[in-house]
Amino acid sequence: MANQSGGVYGLTILSPIKDDPNSEVSPNLALRIYLAKLPRHRNSPFAKVSSTHFARLVVMDDVVYVGMPACEEHLQSKYLVFESNFDGDLDTYLERMAAEIPETVDAVWKHCVGFPGVADVAAFKAYMKKCQIETTFFFADVNDKTVQQTLRALQTQSAVTAFIVKHQGASPSELQAAFAHFMEKLNKAPLPAPAATLGKEFVDELA
Amino acid sequence: MSKLDPTDIQGFVLRGYTFPVARYLLLQIVPAGGREFIGKLIDQITTGERWDQGKPRTTVNVAFTFRGLKKLDLPEPSLQSFPCEFVQGMKARGAILCDTGLNSPDHWEPVWRDESVDAWLGVYAESLPELDRQCADLEKLMAGTNGAVVIGSQDAGVLVIEGKITTKEHFGFTDGFGNPDYVGVVRDTQPGQGKLMSNGSWAPLATGELMLGYADEAGELPVAPIPHLLANNSTFMVYRKMHQNVATFRKYLNEKGKLYSGGKEKLASKFIGRFRDGTPIEVSPDKCDPAVVANKQLNVNFKYGSDLDGVRCPIGAHVRRTNPRDAFGFDGKLVNRRRITRRGLPYGPHTPEDQPVSDADEHGLIFMVMNASIFRQFEFVQQQWIEYGNDARQGNDKDMLMGNHGGVGKFMIQGTADPANPPFVCGGLQNFVELRGGDYFWVPSITALRMIADNSVDPR
Repeated sequence: MANQSGGVYGLTILSPIKDDPNSEVSPNLALRIYLAKLPRHRNSPFAKVSSTHFARLVVMDDVVYVGMPACEEHLQSKYLVFESNFDGDLDTYLERMAAEIPETVDAVWKHCVGFPGVADVAAFKAYMKKCQIETTFFFADVNDKTVQQTLRALQTQSAVTAFIVKHQGASPSELQAAFAHFMEKLNKAPLPAPAATLGKEFVDELA
Repeated sequence: MSKLDPTDIQGFVLRGYTFPVARYLLLQIVPAGGREFIGKLIDQITTGERWDQGKPRTTVNVAFTFRGLKKLDLPEPSLQSFPCEFVQGMKARGAILCDTGLNSPDHWEPVWRDESVDAWLGVYAESLPELDRQCADLEKLMAGTNGAVVIGSQDAGVLVIEGKITTKEHFGFTDGFGNPDYVGVVRDTQPGQGKLMSNGSWAPLATGELMLGYADEAGELPVAPIPHLLANNSTFMVYRKMHQNVATFRKYLNEKGKLYSGGKEKLASKFIGRFRDGTPIEVSPDKCDPAVVANKQLNVNFKYGSDLDGVRCPIGAHVRRTNPRDAFGFDGKLVNRRRITRRGLPYGPHTPEDQPVSDADEHGLIFMVMNASIFRQFEFVQQQWIEYGNDARQGNDKDMLMGNHGGVGKFMIQGTADPANPPFVCGGLQNFVELRGGDYFWVPSITALRMIADNSVDPR
């Protein structure tokens, strides 16, 4: 089914960017400048919308003409492309964007035609749905697990690997005791934050 | 089909010479006499002609860095048409290659760190006296023309173990299997070389995967300098001096070998995908089999399609990472544009397993690669398959022996419930191999050398 892969929703938004010949900096360039400075990884605004698996904001300039025998075509305007793969339904996700990263949403979409602002959540949702197109391809790692399940699985995988390295060759009784202790620690370990790096220090402590 | 002219192609491009000793002279070109030197050198260059009249006593080949070509005064439009990665040189590509930390230029030999090498002369010989004689002749030629000076010299040679010439490297593995076949390159081909066809047979790769001027696997001509005559029959060479920490390797293998219930030698075979005697574990997973090693119908003739779980050959084993054959599906088509031809040779004397050894000892491998596109072939293999594991679904895991691990690497050995073939995790990986320098070179044809010597390169 389009837009849905198990519990994961694929959202694609195409928002036409304003065309203002009188502006000092054209809206599409102003948007590029803003996007280029957005923090990434764990400081990304989308890390705050914690159901997000993957999000990308891209300025689509035009169709590139590559020469004969292609025919020359152009888009009607430049577009902001927003791709997001997230857990749950669309309404909840848009409401979370409005609640958790309203400044980012306004700063990005203010360059787009017809954007009503995020303060009026109903109008914002209606606008985004109007710009939505069907999604049929998902980010490669989407496997019907939530972000939190995925983080827990990565944490478990890294910690178990470190445990094995540390205890390979131990006697069965030593191994059993160490494993019971390890499982206790692992079960109590806090869930890693979105975009966390599960580095050596992190897993060694558990193992 | 491409018809090759072996008299115009440097022999080193078409074949490994299997001589016992070699010396790589690292040159600085002197612009005043550079072209005269090249002109007089041409007669000494070993071409790809067959040695039906008997093997020569020595061979000589030449290659240039971008700096060298500038000093030889190639026309600016020709210089500017070389591929970007060659123009930049290997040091500038460090971030892509993961040449960081212990592999960074801080740890390179000064001649490489300072990017002062203009040209490489590869001299191979049947004996050390012949090697010395040939190198002395070449130095005389340089002095006589005032065209170049030797600023570095690297000896290399096959490891002699218990009086016998071997094809082993310092960790004890038998090396040098499985260079690809190319259309038009005449040699004794073996099934398992070249590319996999949909019907399961093997065929030579397109000539353009090895040399400029010919169609590659995409049916395109590789990116090449202008004019065509300058580029035709040439290739690009990667030179990397790789120091081997033999003490660290032996200690690691001994320690983990005690924990691995399949035994030490089987564990070693899992690192590479071959037992140390060369037996491919995809063919013979449980024991060394000299009959398989000697059998040219078998020793590179295997696939991974029936071993997708890696219980015979681990998914992250060196030979499987760097030549995944059919492991990624699509009849192996995903690997045909990522193949490289290797011309490696060890340096430093062999230290027997029962003798004390230190990481500081002179042990290593001069790793040389021939490919039509350093960017598409060598750099891809190095970045994606050596220093990263995602294509093989091994996450961030790097190549066990070659990886720049920095003490935190791991390597997964897939296994079964059989105690002789258990699953095992190799953790705490150190850098078993460290980079000591190198650069990117262009290996011109005989025609191109003549054009450079005569200053007749005409890009118009």
